[in-house]
Amino acid sequence: MSGAVPGPRILPYSRVVAQDELKLALELHHVVPRIGGVLMAGPRGTAKSTLVRAFALMAHGELPVTLPINATDDRVVGGWDLDALIRGEPRPQPGLLEDAADKGLLYVDEVNLLDDHLVDIILDVAATGVLSVQREGLDTAKYLSFGLVGTMNPEEGGLRPQLLDRFGLMVTAETLDATERHRLLRTVLDFEQELGREDSAWLSAARRDDARTRDRLTAARRRVRDVDVPDQILELCARAAERTEAVGQRGEIVAVLAARALAALEDADRVTPGHLRRILPMALRHRRPEAVHGDTFDWEPDDEARLQDLFEV
Amino acid sequence: MASVPPLPPTSPDPPPESGTARTGAAPLDDPAQRLGLALVCAAADPALSGVLLLDLDPRLVDPVARLFGAVLAGAAEPARPPLVLGASDRDEDLWTRTRIRGGEHGITVRTEPGPLTEGDDADGAPPLVVVPDLARLSVAGMRAAVQLLGADVVTVERGGPRRTVRPRARWLAVCRSADVGRVSRHLLDRFAVRLSAAGLRLPGVREALAEPGPGPQVGVAGEGEAREELFAGLPAAWRSAAEGGIRPVPVGDAAIVRARELLGPDAGVRRELALLRLARTLAALHGRPSASADDSDTAARLIGVAVPRSAPGRPESDPAPSGPAPEPTGPPGTLRERRAAGGDGRLRTREGDRGLLDTGPAEGIGTAAGAAPSAAEGSPYPEDEPAAARDAVPLSGPRRRTTGPVSTRGTVIGTRRATDLRDIAHVRTVREAAVHQRARGTERFTVAPVDLHSNVRAAAPERVLVLLLDHTCRGGTGDGNRPEVLAPFLQWAYTSRAGVQVIEVGAADAADELRAGSFTARSVLDPRVPGALNRRAGRATPLAHGVELAAHTLRRLLRRQGTGPAEAWLVVVTDGRGNVPLQASHTGRFAGPVAASGVEDAVEAAARIGAMDRTRLHVAVVDPGREPYGDLPYVLADRLGAIVVDGRHAPGAEATGE
Repeated sequence: MSGAVPGPRILPYSRVVAQDELKLALELHHVVPRIGGVLMAGPRGTAKSTLVRAFALMAHGELPVTLPINATDDRVVGGWDLDALIRGEPRPQPGLLEDAADKGLLYVDEVNLLDDHLVDIILDVAATGVLSVQREGLDTAKYLSFGLVGTMNPEEGGLRPQLLDRFGLMVTAETLDATERHRLLRTVLDFEQELGREDSAWLSAARRDDARTRDRLTAARRRVRDVDVPDQILELCARAAERTEAVGQRGEIVAVLAARALAALEDADRVTPGHLRRILPMALRHRRPEAVHGDTFDWEPDDEARLQDLFEV
Repeated sequence: MASVPPLPPTSPDPPPESGTARTGAAPLDDPAQRLGLALVCAAADPALSGVLLLDLDPRLVDPVARLFGAVLAGAAEPARPPLVLGASDRDEDLWTRTRIRGGEHGITVRTEPGPLTEGDDADGAPPLVVVPDLARLSVAGMRAAVQLLGADVVTVERGGPRRTVRPRARWLAVCRSADVGRVSRHLLDRFAVRLSAAGLRLPGVREALAEPGPGPQVGVAGEGEAREELFAGLPAAWRSAAEGGIRPVPVGDAAIVRARELLGPDAGVRRELALLRLARTLAALHGRPSASADDSDTAARLIGVAVPRSAPGRPESDPAPSGPAPEPTGPPGTLRERRAAGGDGRLRTREGDRGLLDTGPAEGIGTAAGAAPSAAEGSPYPEDEPAAARDAVPLSGPRRRTTGPVSTRGTVIGTRRATDLRDIAHVRTVREAAVHQRARGTERFTVAPVDLHSNVRAAAPERVLVLLLDHTCRGGTGDGNRPEVLAPFLQWAYTSRAGVQVIEVGAADAADELRAGSFTARSVLDPRVPGALNRRAGRATPLAHGVELAAHTLRRLLRRQGTGPAEAWLVVVTDGRGNVPLQASHTGRFAGPVAASGVEDAVEAAARIGAMDRTRLHVAVVDPGREPYGDLPYVLADRLGAIVVDGRHAPGAEATGE
């Protein structure tokens, strides 16, 4: 990637204020990539994009592979290196989907504004796991797997149900209280001021905290295969999906994977009902009929009440 | 590249010898000075890169844009020509630039990054993007603005160059307060510096900048002179800060608390951050080591946020004696004169300078009386007012037709790979073929099937709503339920993205009471449409002329070859009582007693509409149920071939009086 952007310009992940659910979803996805992606919805100015970029810098040391809403299809599926082609050298140029498969993540900012024909391409590849390119003299087929991470402001419109279902987890940005908001403003202004300093203790401390988080995630990734998932959890998961009328079976599969990732993050040997209950809203909220056919993603007290007795000891 | 380019230290310059500087307050009592200071701040701090001017007189857009360019460029170099974005810009124009040249080996093509994606590693002054009317900006332009304004990083992935940069362009956008409902809040939120420019005058500047020179060097002196005049009250250190940037100073907790107080509990984080960044920049410009609550107040006054009298004993107050606090709120330019005597910042006025509108929107469409009321005068956040109708998804890509005959109509909004040979985009096709010529090694220029691109066209409005509103059928006081009666038709027009033609009869403020008035709106969200529903009644009812205008409009629409509407609704709201004969409307003179000729002419004109193509045209008459002559709407409906809607008891209608 040309023009690599240095990390310190993005607020360090460890210094992003609040938004614990968003952070948890990204961390779970990092521990178990098979979760298949994270969709973050929330009003403007809730640090959704900042959080994704900060997470990628913390976890991978570089910005995520980004699909901008005005990308051309040749850049998505791949094509020829244009400059080389003009010089008479036919040199294939991998597309963003291949890059994403290498890194495990494709980030789409303002995903609900993505043009339909790009959505179709992503859905085809995500559904079949195969990127088949038959155009411009190219003839390739590759097996690809990547997680989609998208951010969106529901004010600007919803997502097609097929694309919605491709996101393993969905989280909504929380509204901050006065104390957290003050802390957020304080943090952002301090960060911008510290950027101008040669040896900033503030930035060094943030980088150390980021490194600790990265180590914690790496350890959880190693540990997750050893985390036991009792049958009771699978049964609970199926019943929760039934109670919330979740469309399809992807919700309960993702819920089990995410609960296992949470257990690994908490250094537990087995998944407990508590782990499952914590991640159920993320796994099921966008698969309820009202979310599939509308734009309401809120996990209401009614939804919680429907699951209440399942988790009562 | 983590290091930050060296910035000048916070201003060590002695404060200017003016009263404003002595008090440490910015010269906020003059709209031109406020504008100048806002531009300086936007130039000095990349986090304040977006400037939105509300209600700026359209004639001043160019002078202000050139002024901003001059501020960004500084005194040493000529200003860069701005990139102007409007209604017709497409993604193809914004992100990349294709250079096609002839050479010894035939055509050579080079695709370069567009100016929007210039990163902060570039030399020279940052580029300036100017949007003369934000409400009319194309969807591609709006989406570009959302991606770029205030962004830490932007990624470009279009055929050719791939870039990931930190954008450094500055944006200057203009919007009328009455139009903000047509702009996405998501986009409005990204403009960090917003201020009302209603009533702004730039004495001398307009004249100095009004004659664009033929070359880049011409006019530079004029700009410099004009800038000197505008910034006469500002210290040179501020201008150098605009050129070279300024190092952020610490922001005290009191400044944060104060900013949140001023903006209220419902303000978004972006708004609070913008005000605090502005306060921080102002503090640095004043040479203060940190930003205090006073700086939050100053920033709020600069952009027009109401500043109540502060509580005593506020921590971190500036040790320097402050000038007398100006009266809170009020439109820009009405704050009490606070400059000390002897200050040289007073702008001279020239003979012949015309004062601009102090209130109400600047000239342009939608100024019809009765339009939705705009926000509190001078507020930088007019979208907070609930008055304006808004598009549900303004940032979504324009709907486009991909099947049927309509796919080859409408405005071209881009190109896509062709799937058949219809509506080929020839230039794009040839450009695509040119890229591959050398690799193909053919003797002649060859176009292969994979080079073919076709046009993407915006869906032409396929539905039209024609509203004929007789204001005199409401008894002169307004019956309050007209919007409810018309709601089904307006909803249909909104959901089908119909174009709207409004014909008005008998308004109290009509330009000519003997003739019907008419305007065309792109959609029912145009603020003139709700305005037309609530006009006061006049005395004359040129109904016949209104019906005739409706007939002309429909005939023109239905005859349009290829792009005519698939469906049109004519909705007539009238009691059928016309008192102006058609001849009087045409000639402007009465030729004798009126008697029933006004009604007869209307019925006769209606017959022409009744004879039109009824497969595409539907007509409804809304009967207000006035007596006597309660049968007149039915007579008119009979001739129009219309259904009759009872306007007296609209379902769910409440006499709200709105």
